[in-house]
Amino acid sequence: MTIKRTLVANRGEIAVRVIRAAHALGIEAVQVVSAADRESEAARLADRVVVIGPAQSKQSYLNAKLIVHAAMQTGCDALHPGYGFLSERAELAQLCDANGITFVGPAAETIDALGDKLRSRAIAGAAGVPLVPGTDKISSVSAAHSAADKLGYPVLMKASAGGGGRGMFVARNADVITSSFDAASNEAKEAFGDGTLYMETYVENARHVEVQAVGDGRGRVVHFGERDCSVQRRFQKVIEEAPCALMPAKLRGELHEAAVKLLSSMKYRNAGTVEFLYDVNRQAVYFIEVNTRIQVEHPVSEQVTGFDLVQMQFRIAGGEPALPRQDQIKVGRHAIECRINAEDASKNFMPSPGRITRWAPPQGAGIRVDSHCHDGYLVPPYYDSMIAKLIVTADDRPACVERLRGALAHFEIDGLATNLPLLRFIVAQSDFAANKIHTRWLEQDVLPGFQQDQA
Amino acid sequence: MPNPTPADIENLIELFNRSDWDEMHLKTDELEIFLSNDPQARRPSASAVAAPVIAPVVMNTSAPAALAASAPAASHATETTIPAGMLGVRAPNLGTFYRAPKPGAPVYVEVGQAVEADTEVCLIEVMKLFTPVKSGVKGTVRQIVVNDGSMVEYEQLLVIIEPAA
Repeated sequence: MTIKRTLVANRGEIAVRVIRAAHALGIEAVQVVSAADRESEAARLADRVVVIGPAQSKQSYLNAKLIVHAAMQTGCDALHPGYGFLSERAELAQLCDANGITFVGPAAETIDALGDKLRSRAIAGAAGVPLVPGTDKISSVSAAHSAADKLGYPVLMKASAGGGGRGMFVARNADVITSSFDAASNEAKEAFGDGTLYMETYVENARHVEVQAVGDGRGRVVHFGERDCSVQRRFQKVIEEAPCALMPAKLRGELHEAAVKLLSSMKYRNAGTVEFLYDVNRQAVYFIEVNTRIQVEHPVSEQVTGFDLVQMQFRIAGGEPALPRQDQIKVGRHAIECRINAEDASKNFMPSPGRITRWAPPQGAGIRVDSHCHDGYLVPPYYDSMIAKLIVTADDRPACVERLRGALAHFEIDGLATNLPLLRFIVAQSDFAANKIHTRWLEQDVLPGFQQDQA
Repeated sequence: MPNPTPADIENLIELFNRSDWDEMHLKTDELEIFLSNDPQARRPSASAVAAPVIAPVVMNTSAPAALAASAPAASHATETTIPAGMLGVRAPNLGTFYRAPKPGAPVYVEVGQAVEADTEVCLIEVMKLFTPVKSGVKGTVRQIVVNDGSMVEYEQLLVIIEPAA
């Protein structure tokens, strides 16, 4: 290993995860913390702790200059950004490059290019990755009718000049286009000064699937299978699993191939995830975006492939030939992750920071808990409310759901409100066991019942 | 009232941090605590007190494990204590501590020198961005705690000042 000492530029469970991966490889870890995290688990585990600023993220974890300064002053030769915070800001990767520190992630230009939605769509299109089918500008009702006939209903009309739902409508048949087109165009004109509309396929029964990939930076990219993250609330993932059990093998192969094609076209370096919309009705996948970091839900891919992705990140960054051959990566078994948050689901998901008076995670075969929490830990109010990830693995999805129910039932956290009651409620649903879910399932079908149940 | 334990004090600080109070002042036979959200505040407004000031932040007292010789020594954990009646100037953020505005220039202050509240006493540099640090109190410089050119952490003690009577 060429890397000797890494700076850990994050906090919470991922900082703990990164430190442990570094130590496993014989790399020393320097942890930067805000004043609120001096006593955190990551601070205890690290070889050295540097307090960089006050609790507010802007003056600590989001200040790239402070962090790189600390890395240089403590003799670090690498920096791991974790997820969130600065992990997808090209500025941090650039600062590392400029100061001779190995950034454990993609090249700054890659982060830059994929961070821009339109550019990443163009890159994906050029690599032959399927995009949500759509049209160019549409200027009349009759043009809209013929375009919709070609795309197939339902379709989504959108204003080309802006978003936020202005000038947007869903049409399930030609009559809706006839009755709504002019009003939508006028609304767009009012809002954006431009009444131009265009059309996209409306994906109704959508699942969120994503491919975990790692590249060597020289054009070779391998994938570690896909994840299904369809249990979401306000576009935030709540439960993630691997593999996407209901996807047919042929489509799964195409999905993996699309992700690998896209990333190898850019000579992608280190870990990344290509996100897709999975249209179950049409049995098609469409590109959404690329996340140029290790993701929260990476453990489910580790569980089903047996590879430690964070260790692999360090080894690739250190220039080792660490990338396995594609045929060495086998997806076996099934894994499901639940995000445990310090929030009160019965009070509109209000964050509930405070002192954990009892921390008793479940244990047993196929149960993994990634967390920075312990008895007596004070969850500070300044950051993300996620306090743990419960990852359960079993031979197949039904066995995994069964094991997850048991693990959630025996997870005890006292002292603050958590979303454990909601997670237990979700996994008790017959639709969850039957895998009949989509990205709006939690909000539409589960939360109303949960709120009644809690009242 | 019995003297509070360290845990009691931590709880008090936590209580204070979570409250919307401006100040908290607690006095027992052997101990006095003054907490304030005002960085300029140095002692309870009502009475002049000689007890040390505790900032509303608990310092990390656990010594970090030693690193290889190439790493600068960690100084934060083995922090100098401020003598009774004196005040500390602390680092506003992490950075490199400099006693002079530029190499070769005269230092900002020497030990024994009288300072005003707005006298600059040192410089903190982060990636070529230089921030002068002011005394914050009228008095006399009694100690420069940090070596020139070394890394300092957020809220690390830099200079000790004896306030003017």
